[in-house]
Amino acid sequence: MTKWGMVIDLDKCTGCQACTTACAMENNTLPGENWQDVLYYSEGSYPTAKLTWLPRPCMQCENPSCVAVCPTRATYKDMDAGGIVFVDWNKCIGCKYCMIACPYGVRFYADEKPVVEPDVRDVFPGTGQLHAPPYQGPHDDAVRGIGIQPKGVVSKCTFCYHKVSQAPAGVADLDEDNPETKEFTPACVRTCPPKARYFGDLDNPESEVNRLIADQRGVRLKDHTGNRPQVYYLGSGADVPAYQPPKKS
Amino acid sequence: MDKINSGISRRRFLATTGTGALTVSAVAVGVPGTGVQNTPAQAQAARPNTTITKNICAQCPARCGIDVYTTNGRVHAIYGDVGNPIANGKGCPKMHLGTYFLYDPDRFKGPMKRTNPNKGRNEDPGFVPISWDEAFDTVAARLNDLRDRGESHRFAHFYGRGWGPTDAGLYGDWGKLYGTPNAAIGHASMCAEGSKRAKRATDGNDSYNSYDYANTNYILNFGASFLEAFRPYNYLMQMWGKMRSKSPQTRITSIDVRMNPTMAASDRAVYIKPATDGAMALAVAHVILTEGLWDREFVGDFADGRNHFVTGQPIETAVMPEPVTDPETGEVTQAAPEGSGFVELWTHGMARWWNEELKDRTPEWAESVTDVPASTIRAVAREFGTTRPAMAIMERGPTSHTNGTYAGMAIHALNALVGSLYAEKGGLFYQMGVPYGGLPVNADDYMDDWAKNGAWKNYPRIDKARTEEWPMASHMMQEAGPNHLKGDPYKMDTAMFYYTNPIWTAPNPQVWEEALKDVFIIETSPFPSETAMYADIIMPEHTYLERWQDSPTYPFEGWPMTALRVPGVEPIYDTKHFGDMLIEIGKRINGPMGDYYREIDNVENVLRHRAKGFEANPGDNGVNSFESWAEKGVWYKKPYHWHHRRGKFYEWDGEGYNVEMTPEDVKAKLLKTPSGKFEFVSGYLEGHAAYIERELGVSADRVGLIQWVPPVHTGGGGDLHFVSPKTPLHAEGRSGNIPHGIAIHQPIVGGKNTVFLEVHPDTARARGIRDGDRVRITSDVGSIEAYCRFMPGHRRDTIVLPMEHGHWAHGRWARGRLPGHSGDVTANVSDPISGLASYYTGKVKLERV
Repeated sequence: MTKWGMVIDLDKCTGCQACTTACAMENNTLPGENWQDVLYYSEGSYPTAKLTWLPRPCMQCENPSCVAVCPTRATYKDMDAGGIVFVDWNKCIGCKYCMIACPYGVRFYADEKPVVEPDVRDVFPGTGQLHAPPYQGPHDDAVRGIGIQPKGVVSKCTFCYHKVSQAPAGVADLDEDNPETKEFTPACVRTCPPKARYFGDLDNPESEVNRLIADQRGVRLKDHTGNRPQVYYLGSGADVPAYQPPKKS
Repeated sequence: MDKINSGISRRRFLATTGTGALTVSAVAVGVPGTGVQNTPAQAQAARPNTTITKNICAQCPARCGIDVYTTNGRVHAIYGDVGNPIANGKGCPKMHLGTYFLYDPDRFKGPMKRTNPNKGRNEDPGFVPISWDEAFDTVAARLNDLRDRGESHRFAHFYGRGWGPTDAGLYGDWGKLYGTPNAAIGHASMCAEGSKRAKRATDGNDSYNSYDYANTNYILNFGASFLEAFRPYNYLMQMWGKMRSKSPQTRITSIDVRMNPTMAASDRAVYIKPATDGAMALAVAHVILTEGLWDREFVGDFADGRNHFVTGQPIETAVMPEPVTDPETGEVTQAAPEGSGFVELWTHGMARWWNEELKDRTPEWAESVTDVPASTIRAVAREFGTTRPAMAIMERGPTSHTNGTYAGMAIHALNALVGSLYAEKGGLFYQMGVPYGGLPVNADDYMDDWAKNGAWKNYPRIDKARTEEWPMASHMMQEAGPNHLKGDPYKMDTAMFYYTNPIWTAPNPQVWEEALKDVFIIETSPFPSETAMYADIIMPEHTYLERWQDSPTYPFEGWPMTALRVPGVEPIYDTKHFGDMLIEIGKRINGPMGDYYREIDNVENVLRHRAKGFEANPGDNGVNSFESWAEKGVWYKKPYHWHHRRGKFYEWDGEGYNVEMTPEDVKAKLLKTPSGKFEFVSGYLEGHAAYIERELGVSADRVGLIQWVPPVHTGGGGDLHFVSPKTPLHAEGRSGNIPHGIAIHQPIVGGKNTVFLEVHPDTARARGIRDGDRVRITSDVGSIEAYCRFMPGHRRDTIVLPMEHGHWAHGRWARGRLPGHSGDVTANVSDPISGLASYYTGKVKLERV
C-alpha cells in the first residue's frame, strides 16, 4: 500500500520560502497561515554567528498524536490515501486540541486576528463561502480539508492530496522533473529551486525517497515522541535547535 | 468588519445546500472587481477547463518563464515553465504570488485625468475616468504644441524595468522622430551600473556577466546576495542545489557587511566593513601574485620562469627582442625575452599595477582598512588561487558607494588573475543578442526637418548623463528631479513614466516630491504609486498576465534567448499595452512621425516582425515562427560562441570551438578595451583622467590603475552604517501591497506583517534600545521610524533595514505600514564614474523614540 513520504535536504535548501508561497496559493491559505513554513534560527554573535533554517510541512506521522486527541474524529489518518493526515472540516469544531498535541506546530487556526491587515477575507468576500481570494484553485474537498476553509476549523498540510491522488497507481516517486508526474507532485516539492525536496512512496523499496533516506542517513524530527513522521530530513542542518522563547526586555 | 457575519456560516451553508461538502464547489465563485461570475469547478475533477499559457514573471529582472493556469477564465496558479532554461519548472517565492498582481483590488481600472491642480503627498488628485481617445489626444496635443514651440526637448520618457522590443525598445525611434534627448531615461543608475562600468573599464564590455555556475568549483562572492536578490534568483538557487551536491562540491566564500542566508549557507562567511571590498580584493590579488597562484596561460609569466612578485619590491616588464626576419625565407621569428621581466599575454599593465599599487596592498594593510583578519584574507586568496575553475562575483554591495567602480574593477581583476574570463568551463562571459527580424519600416525614412536638425539636438538630457557632469554614466535618473527643480539645464514640461516610481525609489525622494509638482505627468502603471499621485493623466497598462510581450534574456549563460508573454486572460479592465500607448501617441504626432506609427500599427505587429528572424534561425526547441514562439514561450539557441582554452581563444564553427581567434578578433569580440587585453591599467578611465581627478581626488596620472580609493560616506556624521537590502520577497514595485509576501517578508528576524530594523544587541543596548522598541533613524536628509529587532549576527557598526515599506500611496496593504522608507534617509550621492546611486554608503544616528 502506498505510503507517501517527503525528503528534505537541508544542505541544499536555501531558505527562500518558495515552498511557502507555492503551498499558500495551491491550498488557498491566508497570509501567514503557512502550512509549509520556513523557520529561521539565529545563534551566536558576530563575527561567528550561525543562521540556520528549517522548512516544516506537516510530518503526516505514522502515529499522529493529533488524531488521538480529536474529540469529534475530525482529524484522521487515511491509510487509503498514502497515510496522509486530514482534517474533516465538516466535523471539526475548532477546539484546537490537535494543535496542542502536535509536537511540530504544523496545524493552524486562522479565524483570529489576521496576520496582515486589511484582512484578505474582507477584501475578497465570497458568495456562499467565507472569501474568494484571487488565487483560489478549482479544488474543493472539505472532508479532507481542501478548498476554502469554513469558519472555525483547524487547517493543515494535505501533501497536496488533490494533486497526489491523481497520480498513476503504483508510481514510486512523484518527481517534478518527470513530465509524467509533474502535475501530481506537491506544490512545495514541484517548485523547490535547489531541488531540496523529494516525494515518493516509502512503501516501495525502489523509490528515490527510500534511496536518499538510506544513502544519506535521513532523520525524522523529534523521533523520541514516537510519532514516526513520514517526512525525513537530510544534511548537516538537521540538528534543529531547541526553541527558545524571546527574552523579556 | 465582522467576518463571522460577513459570509454565510458554514453550518447554515451546508444546511442550505443540503448535500454536504462535496458540492461546495457548485457555488459560483466571483472574482471581485471583475464582474465575472465563474461557472463552478467540480470537486476532484481533472480540470478539463484548465488552460496553461506561457508567460514571463515580472517581479524581478530574471525573466523566468512561467506556466499560467487559467480555469474558467480565471488565473489561479503560476508555476515555473519546464521548457524555459531559466525557470526549469521552478519558482522563487515571488513567482507564485502573481495572481495578486492581476486581481489587485487597488488597480487602476481605466484611463483617468486629474482634476485637482495641486500636487503633493496630502492632495487628492481627484482622478476622473476618461476615454483612451481623450487620454491620447490630450497628450498628443500637448506634445505637438511643445514641438511647434521648438521645445520638444522638454518632454522626457522615464522607465524602470524595460522588457524588450515592445516597450523600452521603442523609445529610441520615438525620441529620434519626435525630437527629444530624453527618450529614454532609464533607472540603471539606481540599479546596478557599478558592476557594468567596472567591466567596461577592465575588459571593455559594458555589461553584466553571464556565468557558468554549473561547472565552477569556487565562488568568491563580494556582496552579491546570491540567495536573496542577485539575478536570476530562481536559477541561482537551482545552481546552488547543483553546486552543493556535485563532485567536487563548489566551495563558496561570501563577503558581506551583514549576516544573511547567503553568508549563512556559504562555506566561509567574511564580514567586511562597508565600502571596503576593493581593499580586500587587492590584497587577495597581492597574495595570488606573491604566492605564484595566477594563471600563467592567461596572464603570462616572468621571462625567467621565476616569481619576482615580492611584497614591496617592484618588477620589470620584459623587453621583447626585435623580431628576426630570415633573409632567405622571409619567415619572422620572435625570440623569447631574456632577464627577469614580466611577459603579459592577455592582460595589460601588470608591471605598472604591481609597482604603483599592488606591491604594498598586503593582507595586513587590508585588515586595517576592511576589519577582515589578514589570516582570513590569505586563506581565501590561497583557496581561490588554487582552485580551478574559480570565479569572483559582485553586485551592489561593493559598488553602491562612491568608490564603487574601482572596487568592482579590483574584484573583476581576480577573474583575470585566475583565468576565468571566457574560460572553457566555469567561466564568465557576456550575453549574445537575439537574431530578431526587422520592423516593416525604418524610422530614418520618417524624419522631418525638426527631427533631423531641430534645436533639440543642442540640449543635454535632463539628467545630464553623458555630459561633462556625468561623462561615463549611461543614465542618471536620480539627478533628473533635482535638475528640474534647479532649472538646470532646463525645466521639463511633460514626463511619461513606465515601470518606475522615482518619487519613492530615488535616493532622497523628498526632493522629487517637490520637483514634479509643476511637470505634466503621464503615469502608465496598472497600480497606484507615489508618482501616480502626481499624474495628470493615468494610462494604466495591462499586468504581465494580460499582455503580449517579448523579453530577451538578461546576461545568463551567454547563448541567445528570448521569452514571450502570452495573455493568460483577456484584460480584465480597460487597460492597454504600454507599447501600444507609445504607438498611439506617435500616430497623433503631426508630420511623418504619425505616418511611421501608422505603419508600425501595434505591438502584436512588432512581435510578428521580430519573430520572422527565427525562420532562418530556428531555436533549439523548434521555435521558428510567432505561433511556435507563443506555444513554447521561449526561443533559444545554444551554444555560446567563444571560449578561452590554455592561452588561446577559440570561436564556434558550427560543430566545435575549432577556429583559433587572432588578437584583433579577440579585441573586436571579447576583450573590447583599447589594448584588446584585460586592463589592469584602464585606458577607458585614462580617457577621463581630468574628470576623475576632480571628482575622486585620484591624481590624473594614476586614474587608470585598479586601486584603492577611500569611500566618502554620506549622512552628516552618523556613527552607524545603514544598509537597505532587498529580500527574496521583494517584488519590484509591488511587494509593499502583496499580503502573502508581507506575511513572510523577513524570516531572518521574524519579520511578519512588516520589516524590522536589524540591530546588533550591543549597539541597541548602548542606546537604551530594547528588542522590539520603536526607534528613529536620522541622517542629514531625513528621519524615519522603525521597530528594532536584535540580530546578533550583524556587525555592531552596521544596521539593516530591508527596502520595502514606508509607502504613502501604494495600495491598501502598504498604507501606513511602519517602518519608514529607507530612501528618506539616503542622500543623493553617486559614484562619479558609474553614476550608480550610493544607496549603501550612508551613516546614520539611531535613537529610541
